[in-house]
This record gives sequence, C-alpha cells and structure tokens, in this order.
Amino acid sequence: MQSRIQASRPFRHHGGTGAMIAVALVNLALSIATLSIWRFWGRTKVRRLLWSGVTAWDDPVEYTGTGGELFKGFLVALVVIYLPLLGLYTWAQALVVSGDPLGTILLSVLYPLTVFLIAAGAYRARRYQLSRTLWRGIRGGQTGSAWGYALRSMAVWLLLPLTLGWVWPWGEMWLARYRLDNTCFGDRRFCCDAGVAGLYGRFAVAWLCIMAYVGLVSLLFVQTFLDSMQTGELDEAAAPMIPVMLLGAVIVMTLPWAWYRAGFYRAMAGGTTFEGARFSAQVTTWTLIRLSIGNGLISLFSLGVLRPWVALRIFRFACGVLAVDGVPDFAGIRQGWDKGPKTGEGMVSVLDGVGEF
Amino acid sequence: MLSDDRSGRFNDGKSAASRKVRLWSLADGVEIRGEDGFLIAVWKTADLVDDGELPGGKGLRMRCKAEPDARLTVEAAVFVRPVAKRGTFHWRIPAAMALGVAVLVGLYLALPNLARQIALVVPLETERGWGNQIAAGFERQMRACRTPEGNEALTRLVERLAAGLPPERRAVNLRVLDNAAVNAIALPGAEIIVFRGLLDQAGDPDELAGVLAHELTHVGERHPAANLIRGIGVGVLATMITGDASGMVASGAATVMAAAYTRDDEAAADRGALRLLKQAGIGSAGFATFFRRLEVLEGGKGLLPAWLSTHPETASRAAAIDAAADPRKLPPSLRDAEWRAVKSICGKAV
Ligand SMILES: [Zn+2]
Repeated sequence: MQSRIQASRPFRHHGGTGAMIAVALVNLALSIATLSIWRFWGRTKVRRLLWSGVTAWDDPVEYTGTGGELFKGFLVALVVIYLPLLGLYTWAQALVVSGDPLGTILLSVLYPLTVFLIAAGAYRARRYQLSRTLWRGIRGGQTGSAWGYALRSMAVWLLLPLTLGWVWPWGEMWLARYRLDNTCFGDRRFCCDAGVAGLYGRFAVAWLCIMAYVGLVSLLFVQTFLDSMQTGELDEAAAPMIPVMLLGAVIVMTLPWAWYRAGFYRAMAGGTTFEGARFSAQVTTWTLIRLSIGNGLISLFSLGVLRPWVALRIFRFACGVLAVDGVPDFAGIRQGWDKGPKTGEGMVSVLDGVGEF
Repeated sequence: MLSDDRSGRFNDGKSAASRKVRLWSLADGVEIRGEDGFLIAVWKTADLVDDGELPGGKGLRMRCKAEPDARLTVEAAVFVRPVAKRGTFHWRIPAAMALGVAVLVGLYLALPNLARQIALVVPLETERGWGNQIAAGFERQMRACRTPEGNEALTRLVERLAAGLPPERRAVNLRVLDNAAVNAIALPGAEIIVFRGLLDQAGDPDELAGVLAHELTHVGERHPAANLIRGIGVGVLATMITGDASGMVASGAATVMAAAYTRDDEAAADRGALRLLKQAGIGSAGFATFFRRLEVLEGGKGLLPAWLSTHPETASRAAAIDAAADPRKLPPSLRDAEWRAVKSICGKAV
C-alpha cells in the first residue's frame, strides 16, 4: 500500500532481548523469595525497559509509574472490590448448595458483574499507564468513563451470541474508537473515525472457515464414534487424526483469522489522527502470524515467565509497522492538567493477570 | 559538569516542542541558551539528574530537580564530574517487601486462632443457617435414611452425650445419609451427618457413641464454623499471593468445607469425647476399638477411610484413648433392639 504523501516511521524500539530476559528471570527469583509481593515492582521494571526502549522522532518515551503505586492499588482493590465480591460469591454458592433459587439468581448477577468490573478495571489500568507515560516531559492521559466503557463492552459481549458472532468487527472497532478517542497526549486528544466497512468481507471468510472446520471436525468425531461402536476399537482410528486436526486448525482457522486481524489493525490505525497527522500500520497477515505463534510458544514453554519478552516483541512489532503521515504541531501541545490516578490498576491486578503492560 | 559548550535539545515541560540549544558550563551548573543566545534556563549542578543514555547511544539525557517536567538531551557530552545518578538505592522497597512478607506469613500463622476468635462472635442463628444449608446440599445428593425406631435410638444416644455440652449447643440435629463413606462430619451450627458406611463398620453401639462424642465436641467447641472461616481465609491469602482471584471465586463453600481440622482441634475433640462418654456413663473402649478397626481397614484395602483421612494419626490417638479409659465395666450404650434399628436405618439387613 503506497501512501499519498511520504509517510515517516518515527517510532523505533532499541531494547535488547537479552536485557529483557534477564529482567524476567530476576523478577521470577525475587517473586519466589518474597511470596510474590515483588511482582508489582517487577512489572514496573519491565515497563520501564519496554517504554524507555521506544523513541519517537528521536526522543525517548519514559515510564514514570512505581511499584508502590501498583501495590497500593492492589491493596485498595482487595478490600473494596475483592473481599465484598468473595463474600457475595460464597453466600450465593451456599444458597445454591441449599437449593434456594435466590442463589442461582445471585450468581447470574455476579458473573456479569465480575466481567463488568474487569472491563472497567482494564480501562482504569489504561488510564494509569497513559498518565505514567511521558514524552518530551509531556504526560499522556485518558478521559472517558470506565463504567461507560464497561457497559459498552458488556453490550458487545451480549450481542455476540445473539448475532452468531457477526457483531464482533463492529463491536471491536466501536470499543477501539472509544479508547482512542479518549487517549490524550498533553492537552490534545487522539481522534479515531475508523469504520468497519472493508472488514466484513475478511470477517465473513474467517467466520465461514471456522464454522466449516468446526462442523467438519464434529462430523468426523460422530463418524469415528459410530465406527467404534460397531468395531469396539476407538484408539487406533482416532490417534492419527489428532495431529492432522491440529494442523488443520492452524491452517484453516488461523490464516483467515490473521487476515482479518491484519485488516482490523490497518483500519484502526488508518482511522486515527493526532493534531493533523494520520497514522497507518503496515500490518501483513504473515508478520502477524509469525508474531502470535512466536509469542504463543514463548509463553507456553516458559510457563508465562518470559511474558516480558512477549511484550517486547509486541512493542517492536508496533514500532516497526506504525507510520505517520505528517508531523503533529508539537509546539501547540501543552502539558495536561490531569496527573492521573494516585494508585495503579487495582481492580485488574486482583481480578485478572492482564499481562505485562 | 560539562567541559565545554555543547549543543543539545531542550523540552521545557510545558509544551511538546523540541528546541535546539547551546549549553554553557558555569562554576556551579549549566546554562541553557537558545541558538539565538537567549537564556532559557540555568540548572544547578546539585539539581542535575542523570537520565541515562539516549537509546541508540546518540546522546545523554538530563533532568533538573527544580523543573521536574523539563528534559535536556546533550549531544555527545563529555562530563568532567558525573552528576547524580537516577537509580539510587531505595531502602523503602525492600522494607515494604519485608513488611509484606511478614504480614502474609503472620496472617497464615495466625489464621487458625483468628478463625476461632471470629467463630466465637458469629451469632448462633447465623451458624445454624450455614449448617442447614450445607446439610440440605448433602441431602439433595444422597438419600436421607429414616426409620422411626432407628431415629429414636440415635436421638436418645445423641441427647445423652450432648448433655455435657454448653446448653445452647445441646439441640443437635443428626442425619444419616445413604453413602458408603466411612465418615461422620460436624457442620456449623449443631448439625451432624453420619454416613451409612460408618454404621456398617461400627461393631457395637459404643464404637458409634465414641465417634458421635468426638463430633459433638467439634460442635460444642464451634470447630466447623472456625474451619469454614479458616478455609475462606486461606483462599484470600492465596489470592494475595498469586494475584489471581479467578480460582478462588470459582471454588466455593464445598471446597472450603473439605479443609481438615487442625491437629489441636482433633486432640481437643478426642479429650472432649472421653469427657462426654464419661458423663453419659458410656465406656470409652469402643472408641479406641473403632480407631483400630479403621486402621485395619486402611491396611487391608489400601484405601484411607474418609473419617481417617480427615482425622489422621490413628494409632497414637487410640493409645491416648486407652490410657485415659474408664476402668469400670459399663452397660452398652444402646440395647440390642435399638442397635439393630440403627444398623438397618438405611434399609440394609443387619
Ligand atoms: Zn474430628
């Protein structure tokens, strides 16, 4: 894809893999030694390394969050969110055990409430991270409401089964637009008007491939099962099918899905502007597949210990593909008044791991 | 301090503009001037903070404590004297860490006692509510065994033994459930569940009386409620350590109930059982016999009977019971007809 004016690639990642792996291993050792309390400071160290490796227009990005902030946020969420929620879950389960229908009702409220809180927590975590991200001494930030974002997420998740998945491209983009429209640098906002018009073709292909594959596999299973009923031998027929089926899953499902994801990222970046400059992302299906398979294997074989490396690969990838058409008027961007939350990421750190960044 | 005048880039921390500057070293700091020579800022040496190298190694970064948002990038600077390093060692982090570990370990060690104290302030009605709910849950999964004669005999035995408990704990509700587990459990409030397997294994009424006396002591000392609270506490601690609540939320009252009693609780229940048996005028020999019988079962089948797996250290406990045994010869705790009614309460022949 050729852009109209020459687009520049102002983002670069300079971080080395060795340094990141070393940090990950030291973090593992310290986490074990401190009954995992180190993890807040460890995560902060990883972020410092991730952020500070990025330069934009030759000036480095900084991460100014601290482990203490994450720790305090965790403690607050433990008392305010987690313990009351745990009490409610225990009560609901006791009611279910005793056969009281109120228990089922309570649980059916608690599950969506938990998902809601996780979505709201993820949005708040993003606000914390952006407010601790500096470039040329100017802070990033996030406006918008965590509850509003959580409600929108819930709406998408509710519509997903009702539409047999077809709401996904629109819903995903709707949420991405909300995040980007509320992302600030200094006193200026990003603006995202990305649409999904060009995405539904790719999504349809991916959807049909996945449905066809799932249908085929279930048919094969039924067939094998019926055969084994007659002959009484299940193992020999089914064993060679499993690797074939896994390989089939990678080819038939991953390829079209990666094709869709690549389209999604291009559309999202292409619809995003900041102070007169338009972004673009040269994401291709193959690079995306390489990135995700590599990341999956690293996480799997290191049992999650090397997740910082995964994060580094994602940062490098993003820096490599992001291009900017035009240069924002930096002199017009002033420091924002909002210094962000005092403590970090409470809800997410209790209710969900969320990863390294 | 800078050895010479140098060029660099300056961000004032008020806007995102980047300005080319010239730097002049002074006796006690750095003078930052625009390319037109106009003075922008003077940074004192004492306030200078080294921000490390620019990624890619094309310059050094500096900050000033007096202007925390401003940034200076010096192109290929040579320092005569190094400025203060940013990464100075903070004692507060290891201190916070040590405090956190101490709190976690302390909470874990204090948990049994803490749970016991909390259980003591839980109102009896609330505790009964928990017990009823859990017992009702068991009854929905297993058939409850009831015969008029069997229940009457069991009720009379329980009432005789419970006479030694605090008054508000005497109204014990005993259920027999049709399950092969050789087990009896005390629930919060005053609920005791006996499984059919235990009745099958008991050789005479005194053996059953011993087990009931043991469980009644758990009831009298509020061990089940303390256990429940302790189980929840372990889950909370696990969440604090792993930072992952999903497992805890999924597990519930059922797994919490599976937590074994503490060793202290078991010893207390054995002592209390002897006291209750003595007050009821029932011999304790059957209690010891039952322990030995379970031990044989355990050896023979290679399976730990359920009551043992929640009540470990059988041999030493049987010996302790023997040592404290009442030497008097006492009549059996149930008459033959009563005992037969109890044994066949689930409809099985004696
Ligand atoms: Zn016991």
